[in-house]
Amino acid sequence: MSTRIEDLAELHHELRAVARDLLAKTAAESAVDWSLIARSGWLGLEAAAEFDGAEATFAEVAVILQELGRAAARSPYPAVAALGVGALNELEPGQDRDELLRDTVSGTTIPVLALPGEAAAAPFRLTRTPHGVLLDGTATFVPDAPTADRLLVPAIDSAGATVIVHIDARAAGMSVARQPVLDATRDFGSVVADSARPESMWRFHGDSDHALRRLHERAAVAVACDSLGLSEAMLDAAVAHAGVREQFGRKIGSFQAVKHACADMLVRVTVARKLVEAAVRSQTGDRADAAVTASMAKSYACAAAVDIAGKAMQLHGGMGYTWESGIHVYLKRATLNRSLFGSPAQHRRQLAERYSSIEYS
Amino acid sequence: MTTSSPDQLDEFRAGVREWCRTHIPAQWRRAQTDVSDAEFVRFQQDWFQELRAAGFAVPHWPKQWGGGMSLAEQVVLYQELAAHDAPRLVLAFVSIHHAASTLLAAGTEEQRQRHLPAILNGEIWCQGFSEPGAGSDMAALQTTARRAGDGYVVNGQKLWASGAMHADWCLLLARTDPNAPKRHGISYFLLDMRTPGVDVRPIRQATGESHFCEIFLEDVTIPATRLVGPEHAGWRVAQQTLGAERGMTMLELAERLGNGGFRWLVRLCARPGPGGTRPLDDPLIGDRLATLEIELTGLRALCAELVANDHPGPADASIVKLYYSELLQRMTDFGTEVAGLAAHTELHKPRSSGWESGAWMLDFIGSWEWTIPGGTSEIQRTIIGERGLGLPREPTGH
Repeated sequence: MSTRIEDLAELHHELRAVARDLLAKTAAESAVDWSLIARSGWLGLEAAAEFDGAEATFAEVAVILQELGRAAARSPYPAVAALGVGALNELEPGQDRDELLRDTVSGTTIPVLALPGEAAAAPFRLTRTPHGVLLDGTATFVPDAPTADRLLVPAIDSAGATVIVHIDARAAGMSVARQPVLDATRDFGSVVADSARPESMWRFHGDSDHALRRLHERAAVAVACDSLGLSEAMLDAAVAHAGVREQFGRKIGSFQAVKHACADMLVRVTVARKLVEAAVRSQTGDRADAAVTASMAKSYACAAAVDIAGKAMQLHGGMGYTWESGIHVYLKRATLNRSLFGSPAQHRRQLAERYSSIEYS
Repeated sequence: MTTSSPDQLDEFRAGVREWCRTHIPAQWRRAQTDVSDAEFVRFQQDWFQELRAAGFAVPHWPKQWGGGMSLAEQVVLYQELAAHDAPRLVLAFVSIHHAASTLLAAGTEEQRQRHLPAILNGEIWCQGFSEPGAGSDMAALQTTARRAGDGYVVNGQKLWASGAMHADWCLLLARTDPNAPKRHGISYFLLDMRTPGVDVRPIRQATGESHFCEIFLEDVTIPATRLVGPEHAGWRVAQQTLGAERGMTMLELAERLGNGGFRWLVRLCARPGPGGTRPLDDPLIGDRLATLEIELTGLRALCAELVANDHPGPADASIVKLYYSELLQRMTDFGTEVAGLAAHTELHKPRSSGWESGAWMLDFIGSWEWTIPGGTSEIQRTIIGERGLGLPREPTGH
């Protein structure tokens, strides 16, 4: 067992080094080259070998997600790998699903799950009409919807079960409008279906409500990974700055107020890392505590990231407040992450719901 | 990390659970409130022997000395003891942790043979590190040990020695070379508390208890055979053994806080107040409870990692100490707030309970026992900044 853990640590270390190297080559605010991502094999990490995947787990995807956060990279990778592939793996196999999965892994198509960025149930509905089955509904703040060519739309069918509707993003009755946000590293869109005709409808293995809840959890954990990575980057930047910048004839890092602020940042990053690791482990193993660990990681890591990026801006002084410093990019991304897929308060409310029912005697 | 399979661990947990149900003295909290020192000591010694008979007293010691439990088993043991509200081994804390780890890491074979079995038989230890002028700045200590024949003659004063009035032995740091740089002239001794010239005076604390003591040392003779590690290397011995020990003690404390303390807090919040409503029905209370649960979960993971890691980072122990002590303070503060005025009428807390006594106000006041001793939170932050992050040192006056 211990050798397996060591092997995994080694694999994650390599994956992290490659990702950091690749992401460093992309200019700030430009999207990371998709073909490069596809060639790196990151899209197929969780896919089975028959779809040209690596048969790895969400733990490996999490390594990439964290590095994207560290680089504040612009990429639909989180939307596709955490949500698109996550959804496809939860669906009953079939020829067209299998084909889409294969094309996703190779990078020839960009499928996005139309999951609203604010936690909610499936907002789409399928209606049987004399003209066939039609799809209606709206999802807002869908990550990377403007980049998607294929949409995976969670919808409630006439029997009340949640299914996934597969549809071209440019199909008649479908519209995707860009939703500009202050965070310049993100692309959001609102997805509207107005009597659109689904190309195909796919069912989840097992309970569909459970599957959709799991996808929400995955989304929350993916954002927590991003926030952890960007927290690490901001702590590193603040420490590097405090170690060279001089004021009053001393390096500012030697001032207790600055040093202690950095120490507190490290403590929060360390705790966030433990919580994110636990959440990623639960996602990987489909454990019973997955919802709890996801809420803990999302709420702590995303709240901590805002504090840490904010403290980094403060410690950089006037320089930190300039556009050129780039710290605002991280602060905006961290703050957006905090609201995405459930605010810390919403996640804590879910945790608190257990206190009345759990017997603590 | 461990060889215990999940099935073996489940079986172990069931065994501990059964043992807890049949061995934890019923109503011990009530029985241990307002008891004399003698009764408290007797209760602690008896409880230690109960745990020892089950193999639960020193699980972290090497097997040959009566321990040998895997880390995963230790976590389970502490979880169950906390969940079943077992009394804490407050009196033996220094003996089984600090004294044992020092002897195991730096003691002579003779010293180990003399003391480890004795600790299992109830020998009580205290720690004589701090001084009036050397608290967090431990290298500033002034107590002297002058070489004289086959031993040393010690003079000085120690402060904050917890449980010293009950102690048989003391882990003592004293300056053996007054001319050496601060950290290089200190030696580490095992002091028999019954040696002539040793005078112990309890200090009354903010909680009203007298757990900490002053130790006055006047021409106290210590044989050279009771030196631990090389002469003048006491600072290094203390750093090594304290660093290694902090993780072990934290493992138990984190489970006490996460598994025992949090349950107390939820139970408190679920109890109807004077108006009939439960604090838990207030969403703000739920939010703060959830915040604490998240922080506690992080703490437990940090502690488990610290103990499992053979090569901890230079500031890992400080991170855990700082985070634990301030979380404990937030938690007891919150408990006091929720309990309201009733918390102020709990005038005594049960002995043997540590901080998780349920007397929230006394526990809150007592939480400063964790943010001040063992290096204040401010010192921990400086250590984390300098050793953990490599930030420039503060200018010093010497």
